[in-house]
Amino acid sequence: MSYNPYSLEGKTIMVTGAGSGIGRATAVEASKLGARLILVDINAVGIDETKAMLEGVERDHLGFAIDLCNEAAIDAMVKEIPVINGCSNNAGITKLTPIQFITPEEMERIHRVNLIAPMMLTKYLVKRKKLSKPSSIVFTASAGGVFVASMGNAVYATSKCGVDGYMRTAALELASKGIRCNSVNPGMVETPLINRGQVSAEQHEKDKENYPLGRYGRPEDVALATIYLLSDASSWITGTALKIDGGLTLR
Amino acid sequence: MNNPFLLIGKTILITGAAGGIGSAIARTCIGLGARVILTDIREDALNSILESLPQPAEGTESNLAIKADLTNEEELAHLVEACPQIDGLVCNAGIMKLTPVPFITEAELGRIQSINLNAPMMLTKSLLRKKKIRKGGSIVFTASAAGVYRVSIGNAIYATTKCGIDAFMRTVALEMGPRGIRCNSVNPGMVETALIGSFSVEEKQREMKNYPLGRFARPEDIAYGVTYLLSDASSFVTGTALKIDGGMTLG
Repeated sequence: MSYNPYSLEGKTIMVTGAGSGIGRATAVEASKLGARLILVDINAVGIDETKAMLEGVERDHLGFAIDLCNEAAIDAMVKEIPVINGCSNNAGITKLTPIQFITPEEMERIHRVNLIAPMMLTKYLVKRKKLSKPSSIVFTASAGGVFVASMGNAVYATSKCGVDGYMRTAALELASKGIRCNSVNPGMVETPLINRGQVSAEQHEKDKENYPLGRYGRPEDVALATIYLLSDASSWITGTALKIDGGLTLR
Repeated sequence: MNNPFLLIGKTILITGAAGGIGSAIARTCIGLGARVILTDIREDALNSILESLPQPAEGTESNLAIKADLTNEEELAHLVEACPQIDGLVCNAGIMKLTPVPFITEAELGRIQSINLNAPMMLTKSLLRKKKIRKGGSIVFTASAAGVYRVSIGNAIYATTKCGIDAFMRTVALEMGPRGIRCNSVNPGMVETALIGSFSVEEKQREMKNYPLGRFARPEDIAYGVTYLLSDASSFVTGTALKIDGGMTLG
C-alpha cells in the first residue's frame, strides 16, 4: 500500500540511546518506514547490534559511539553529520533512591544524561543549522514525574519534569524555524532499564495490576508513537506530551 | 510491508462524518485500509460524502452511510442495530456557538450538551451494551483544546461539553481497559472547517497570532491523530488526550 501519512521515506532521523531498548526499537521501526538512521549511544557494541537490525542498508545508516555528557563530543558529532529531519532524544538512565539517600553526585549523574544531554544536543543541532525546515524533535520523557509520582523515583522524576519544561519551551522558541518539539511519556516499559536488580519479578507482576490494560509497554509502543511525532502526519503538533501508559495514570 | 499504522481488516464507525473533520477521518481510514460506517444528521451531505469516498480495498465489504440524529433515542437505537461489529468508534459530531456567560439560556445549553456530550455518551454506552465493539477495539473522541487546556471568551458552553467528554473518555478507558477496549481523545485547536465560518477575516488573523506554527489545522492534521489512535500502533495508549494545536496552548 503506497498511501502512508506516517512514512519516514526520504528523512534522516537521529536516535540517541539507540543501542538498546526503546531507542533500538525506534531505530528499527523508523528504518522499516523508510528512514535513514543516525544511531547515537555510549555503547559501540549496542550501535553495531542495532545497525545490523535496520532495514535499508543502501541508505547508509550512520553510528556514533559518544558520551552525550561530553559537550565537546556532541558538537564534534553535530559538525560531522548531514542535515537531519528529526531527532529522537531518547537516551536515559534511572535509579531508585529514597529521598533521605539522594546525593548531589547521584542527582548530577542522572540529570546530566536525562536532561542536560538532550538540551545540549538540541542546542548544537539548532546552532549548527542541522535541522531541516520543517523538522521534528521528540523527547522520551516519562509518565513518571510528569503525570504520576512513585516511591523512590524523585531524581528520575525531576529529570523528566525538566525535559517536559524544556520540550514546551523549545516548541515555543523553535516554531518559527519550522522545528516541532514533542515528547512521548511512557509508563513502565519492558527494557533492560527496569530489571537492574532493584525490583523483583514478583513486584513487577504486582505492579502490572495498576495498568488497566494489564501489561507494561513494549519498546515498540513507544517507538511507534515517536515515529508518529517524527512524521509529517503530526505536522500541526508541537508542545504536546503524548502519554503512553496503558491507563496507569487514570485513577 | 507490515505497517503497524494500517487499518486493514478494521471496520470504523464515524459520527459527524459529513463535516470537515469527519469526512477527512473517513478518507484517511479508507486510505489506510479500513471499511467505514458513516453517520450524520445531514442525510444529503452524508450521501454525497459516501459517493465521493474511494471504495474500500478489494475483499472488504462496502462502506455504509446511516443517517441518524444522535440526540433522538430511536434513531440512535436504529444506528446501533444497523451497525455491524466494529473495531473502532470515532465520536466526532459536534457543534459550537459563542455565547457570553450573561446570555446563556438553558435551552441553548441543553441543545449543545445533548449533541456534544450526551449523544456520544449514549452511543458509546449502547454499542458497548450490544457488544458491537470487538476486543482490541479503539474509541476516539473529538474533544478540544478549548475547555480542557484553555478557555476563551464566549465559549463557556462548548468548553464545558468538551471537558465532559474528557472526563467520560478517561472513565471509559478505565472501565474498558481490562476488556481490551482502549479509549482516547484528540484535542484540536482551531481547524479550517465550516464550523469556524462565522469568524470574520480580521478575527481569524488575530486568532492566528496565537498559533506558534503560524496556521490553523487542516482536517487531515486531526484525522492522522485519530487514525494513529485507532491503529494497533497505539495499542498501549488509553486514557490519553492527544493535543493537536499548533502550539497554541504553550504561551
